[in-house]
Amino acid sequence: MLHKTDSNAILFVGAALGLFFIGGLLTTVAPPLIDKSWNKPFENTDPSKGPTGKLVAYTDQEMRGYRIYIREGCKYCHTQQTRTLASDVARSGWKGVPSPVSTPDEFVYDYRQTFGTKRTGPDLSRIGGKYNKEWHRAHFRNPRDLVPGSIMPPFPWIANNPDELDALVAYLQTRGRAKDWRPDNDYEK
Amino acid sequence: MATNAIRGSMAAPAAVATPEIHSDTTVKWFVLGAVGYFAIVGIIALIIAAKFVWPDFLGSISYFTYGRMRPLHVNGMLFGWLLAADMGLAYYIVPRLCGVRLWSEKLGVATSVLWNIIILSAIVTLLGGYQKGIEYGDLPTPVAVLVVIAWVMFGINIFATIARRKYNQMYVSTWYLMGTILWTAFVYLTGNFATLLPGVTGVNQANLTWMYTHNAVGLIFTPAGLAIAYYFIPRASNTPLYSHKLSMIGFWSLAFVYVWTGAHHMLHGPISQWLQTIAIVFSILLLIPVWAVVYNFIATMKGQWHQLNDNVSLKFLMSGTIFYLLTCFQGPMHSLRSVNAIVSKTDWIPGHAHMAVLGTFSFMAMAGVYYVVPRIFHTTLHSEAVANWSFWLFLIGGLGMFTALWLGGFWQGWQWNNPSIPFIDTVVALKPVWMVRFFSGIMIFSGIVLFLYNIMSTALGAGQAKAELARS
Repeated sequence: MLHKTDSNAILFVGAALGLFFIGGLLTTVAPPLIDKSWNKPFENTDPSKGPTGKLVAYTDQEMRGYRIYIREGCKYCHTQQTRTLASDVARSGWKGVPSPVSTPDEFVYDYRQTFGTKRTGPDLSRIGGKYNKEWHRAHFRNPRDLVPGSIMPPFPWIANNPDELDALVAYLQTRGRAKDWRPDNDYEK
Repeated sequence: MATNAIRGSMAAPAAVATPEIHSDTTVKWFVLGAVGYFAIVGIIALIIAAKFVWPDFLGSISYFTYGRMRPLHVNGMLFGWLLAADMGLAYYIVPRLCGVRLWSEKLGVATSVLWNIIILSAIVTLLGGYQKGIEYGDLPTPVAVLVVIAWVMFGINIFATIARRKYNQMYVSTWYLMGTILWTAFVYLTGNFATLLPGVTGVNQANLTWMYTHNAVGLIFTPAGLAIAYYFIPRASNTPLYSHKLSMIGFWSLAFVYVWTGAHHMLHGPISQWLQTIAIVFSILLLIPVWAVVYNFIATMKGQWHQLNDNVSLKFLMSGTIFYLLTCFQGPMHSLRSVNAIVSKTDWIPGHAHMAVLGTFSFMAMAGVYYVVPRIFHTTLHSEAVANWSFWLFLIGGLGMFTALWLGGFWQGWQWNNPSIPFIDTVVALKPVWMVRFFSGIMIFSGIVLFLYNIMSTALGAGQAKAELARS
């Protein structure tokens, strides 16, 4: 049948789009209708079902920080996903405590997905609460002062701008905090 | 359908048409612009490669920070160079395969002017930090709207030319270019507009982004590149295409299979396991369209390999074919959960991506540019020797970059899988790899400069030769 498309352009267009749309629709429109966790914010009060907690919407300040994260292209070097790999769970952990795996319901309020493709720097899906603001300020000013061997660029225009720095740090502190996974609530501010 | 007819008439329809009917103004605009952007964005590529080795290089100026230059590198190479070159070659190929003039040269030139406005706006907005925050879809929405308009203008021109064709039967390059125009429209709208719809957030947005990003390569650059290779391999070697049936299998399996695979970018990640499995199955099926095409190209060259000695276009085309085979073997293999657990997110991935976009599709586009520029300017190539040098710089620089990133990325992946190694140690371990990548980049950039010099000298020299002729 496809032989006819050699000489019939209209038939060709129909076949090329038809075949494309089968997979196109089934893999884009159908999945969120089938898997409800893509659009339902995380909430759990039962410790037997894993970490408890609730995903809350961003504050205005956190949202400003989120936009700075996008503006500076941070996601081109930092992923935000603790994958179902033992090494990811251990590396996203902190002070000997492994971190929970990332699930779709933790990202429902993300206006730009930041899962990332390349891990030039460490994953940030559980960075929230690991370092305080002073650490972040010094780190943005010159990463190599705190982490020798790092190749992260310096961001003086953020470190020296209190409003932007506060906003960006506020955003970073939300990362991974929907799930309450630290013992004794020992998060840095 | 008789095989002889394909070998005879379908592989060489352009020989029937007289070259004088084509004015090729649009081809000139697109191709010369694309070659210029290749060099300009090549400088950006070198700068970001240098930043891996010297992280403070241009480090304290926000416009030149890595996070803003990387999207400019990606978008500049994809849209400024490669897609513009592919479009320019489409304006050359389609009228010849149809035996008629391009439907409208005026519309074509207007498309080129708009395309230049898009690329210049991209440079300003991306360095200014106005990126939309969607990989490959970084251009801000107003610029993305211009891309859609330009694409519609391009599509109308090509389809109107095809509608008025003199030869009823369409050659495989025409199918691939029609496919490119149709699929790109929907893939681009998905990535740049559907992702911004209200309520599309988080994983939902990521899934749409991956549909776009993956198919930007699979359903834009792959069919455009293959259209070019299907046209120029028989043309440059003066040999009929091996099999019409194989080209049909390759085309229609690509049309069906490619779009299912986006979720393989999030294997082990926070996306439904069943969707990951679907993406894996279809990623393996991708071997069918790839091997059908590669077998067809290799079989076409049977008994003709000696032509590679003194034919630069064929050198680019056949090395591009081998890189296509390799990069499209890597892709399905990366989709296996066990392999993915090692290579995903590492430096292996840019090694793989560069073999696809530079090694395969840019090689095919350069082959086309080397072939058409002397012909559209009615002259000979400025220097065959310089063209040969550019090929070897691209090939050796490319291989240096690809292999350094694969070896380094694989090593990095093994280190990450041992959590007792601190993350920063896995960064420091890769510094020699990034040094090799930088110096390979210098070789590739030198190749770009020689390519630019040769193409521009051919275009300008043709004008001078004509002027001298007019004076005498």
